[in-house]
Amino acid sequence: MSDSKTMITLISNDNVHIQVERTVAERSMLIKNMLEDLGDCAMSSAIPIPNVNEPVLKKVIEWCEHHKNDPQTTADDDSDSRKKTTDIEEWDQKFMQVDQELLFEIILASNYLDIKPLLDVGCKTVANMIKGKSPEEIRKTFNITNDFTPEEEEQIRRENEWAEDR
Amino acid sequence: MRPLQGTTDTANNKYLRAKESFSEDKAGDSLTGTSKCCPTSPSARRRSPSSKTSEPAPSINNINTADLVPSARLSDPFSIYPDLHQPAIHCQAGLDIPDHRTFPGKAYLQTTIMRGPVPTMVPINTSPSYRPGPDPEGDSQSSSSNSPARQDYEESDFYAGNNDSQSSIGVPTFQDMAVSREICEPPANRLPAEVLIGIFSKLNNPQDLLNCMIVSKRWARNCVDLLWHRPACTTWNKHSYICRTLSVPDPYFAYRDFIKRLNLAALADSVNDGSVSPLFVCTRVERLTLTNCDGLTDSGLIGLLTDSHNLLALDISGDTQITAASMMALAENCRRLQGLNISGCTRISNESMVAVAESCKYIKRLKLNDCDQLEDSAILAFAKHCRHILEIDLHQCRLIGNQPITELLTNGRCLRELRLANCELISDSTFLNLPPNQTYEHLRILDLTSCARLTDRAIEKIIDVAPRLRNLVFAKCRNLTDAAVHAISKLGKNLHYLHLGHCGHITDSAVIKLVQSCNRIRYIDLGCCVHLTDLSVTKLASLPKLRRIGLVKCSNITDESVYALAQYRSLRQERHQLRGDDNFFPSSSLERVHLSYCINLTLNSIVMLLNNCPKLTHLSLTGVQAFLRPDLEQFCREAPPEFTEHQRSVFCVFSGAGVVGLRQHLRHLPAHGIVDDFDQETVAEADDDQTMTGMMSATVLNADDDADAEGGDEELEDGDPGAGAFGGLAT
Repeated sequence: MSDSKTMITLISNDNVHIQVERTVAERSMLIKNMLEDLGDCAMSSAIPIPNVNEPVLKKVIEWCEHHKNDPQTTADDDSDSRKKTTDIEEWDQKFMQVDQELLFEIILASNYLDIKPLLDVGCKTVANMIKGKSPEEIRKTFNITNDFTPEEEEQIRRENEWAEDR
Repeated sequence: MRPLQGTTDTANNKYLRAKESFSEDKAGDSLTGTSKCCPTSPSARRRSPSSKTSEPAPSINNINTADLVPSARLSDPFSIYPDLHQPAIHCQAGLDIPDHRTFPGKAYLQTTIMRGPVPTMVPINTSPSYRPGPDPEGDSQSSSSNSPARQDYEESDFYAGNNDSQSSIGVPTFQDMAVSREICEPPANRLPAEVLIGIFSKLNNPQDLLNCMIVSKRWARNCVDLLWHRPACTTWNKHSYICRTLSVPDPYFAYRDFIKRLNLAALADSVNDGSVSPLFVCTRVERLTLTNCDGLTDSGLIGLLTDSHNLLALDISGDTQITAASMMALAENCRRLQGLNISGCTRISNESMVAVAESCKYIKRLKLNDCDQLEDSAILAFAKHCRHILEIDLHQCRLIGNQPITELLTNGRCLRELRLANCELISDSTFLNLPPNQTYEHLRILDLTSCARLTDRAIEKIIDVAPRLRNLVFAKCRNLTDAAVHAISKLGKNLHYLHLGHCGHITDSAVIKLVQSCNRIRYIDLGCCVHLTDLSVTKLASLPKLRRIGLVKCSNITDESVYALAQYRSLRQERHQLRGDDNFFPSSSLERVHLSYCINLTLNSIVMLLNNCPKLTHLSLTGVQAFLRPDLEQFCREAPPEFTEHQRSVFCVFSGAGVVGLRQHLRHLPAHGIVDDFDQETVAEADDDQTMTGMMSATVLNADDDADAEGGDEELEDGDPGAGAFGGLAT
């Protein structure tokens, strides 16, 4: 395969061309697999990322840049993360300090691009926003409409009473 | 921003689900985990397209927005390229989805349509409402796509997305169509179900999950099985709430079918047949943990097992009333069983275990400790029928002879862990009778504690045919000599853990050779190897990864050994620091040092050990005269209650905070000038012994590298040898 310092070009869905080091781009398993399958001919042509706009793509690349030397996680490594910890390393915490709209777009982009560690950080960030909040506070935080009738809500509470902290 | 849907690649789903399943508290589930050793075909994890065809087509009203945006990510990476290069055709392509689920444009634009709740509880295999919980393990048999019991899961958001990805292979994405939707929708609503599940799976606290359930219907649907995956029967109060919900005639969700793990160990003291009968309806349980529920009888257990065709792991260790009847029910109902722990169930007949072996062919982990009623025929049946056994523990199955063990090794080509402690009948022929020219590349852990008949010949043979052994326990194999140690040396860097306590013939020359060949040893015990001298320990001190060393009753050793343990590392550390390379050997790796009854030791060497080994969390010096001083008592651990007066008077063990206290105390004693600038902070990670032992016992069956290396068998330490029964506590 080619030298890892090779630059490749990604095209965001708003048609902006972004140059990025191949090793950085390959934090995305989607891009990595594609490059591996297409071989050298992919290097010369630009790769459209039709689901991600420029600001989000740049943000994602920023993360990949910072984490480009992290050990690659394989499918089996999942088994090591047994703890459902919501600990997030400091750099990632700062990285995720963005408005909610962008946060969710980063999550969606990492999901689409298949960057599991970033998706993981995103999910943890949202989980931390949920922790300790009441249902009403959660709805407010994320602007979600309650579509339960009062009776339904009461039924859910009753049937899941065991889960309440006491 | 376009809604980015569709990373519904199966691997990704697995990832999200795996997060939750691996987070399981293993403390209670001693039968968890499937080994990474056994390769699984990826297809077993993938939902086959055929299973999709049986899925009920949802009506338009039932379609969640998340269902409607097919995946761009496909299992075959090639098929995504059309997407990437022809974004413009997305709309048309969307109409071509080759699926019964034709594109319902109307529903697509309706942003708030939610699928209604699952109104009633329905019999298994007919409900359209299930979503599977996280896979128990990636390679579980029960998760294979052709499992009839699983097909009905498909309708959920999560799997529907997945299905779309399957069904639209080669079809471009059409995210662009969703533009109209996002204008009015809060960003949180655009998260596809699998991402929502990924978020919820990070929440540990059931209260948080419950709060999420109440947020909205969509959240409830994606939360409910995480919450009920493993309902916390930790108090009788919670137990009764759970049982009440399970008996509600018309529940909001079919909770009973979400329950994949049931663990009553926390209530073990008072569990009886009555307390499990409301749980009979949970027939999708995959892990059932009833450790020490000795009030439970066959009628309760049989009720739980009946129709539990998905059961993967059963732990009834300590359930002493259980008999053959339950095992027959197990054999009949639970043919996918992979893990079984019946330790201490002495009323289970040999014949019923033969029946289990014959029908539960997928068993991988088997723990039969203390079942001294079991005979060769039961183990032979497992050797014959269960070819996937990874781990077997026959601790104290005293009637077991050579032949079944030879068969287990010969047939079980993936056997990874074999524990035969106190199987007194085992002799050399177990290993000498192994077929020639066969090797056992998977065998990592071998425990032959107190198999006192074994001689060097057996050890030479087993090392020869199992070159990748990592953990060896030959404690109390009293016939072993230097020849056995020479054989062990052949394992080279594979050897991490070695216990040769009470192998009293061993001499310095064998240990020196061992260290030369096996430089990755992390754990070594040479307790009661009375011939050993400072020569051995000085050599052992050079092991770069050594974390734990046991030298109890090696009474020849002197301060020189302890100086070596303390100093070797610090010298090397300085050397590296001089070269500006201070990360290479940050500090001594020693964590646990057992020096009880090494009667020649003095305070001076120990002070240096304490100062130079910041990771030290355990130091035992029982019976060493120099430490029987009143000023040190405050840092010493309490002697176990069973100890006699004499044992108490010599007991001297420091652990956790005690080590820190001792270090500080000794540093301020004027007599000892060995004070350096060692950093106190590094001690913060000090772990308590109890945690170690607890972890060990809980993870015995899923022992992974660290657990093995950490937990260790401590039985030889510190107490009188005569007090072996509570040797573990004595440390």
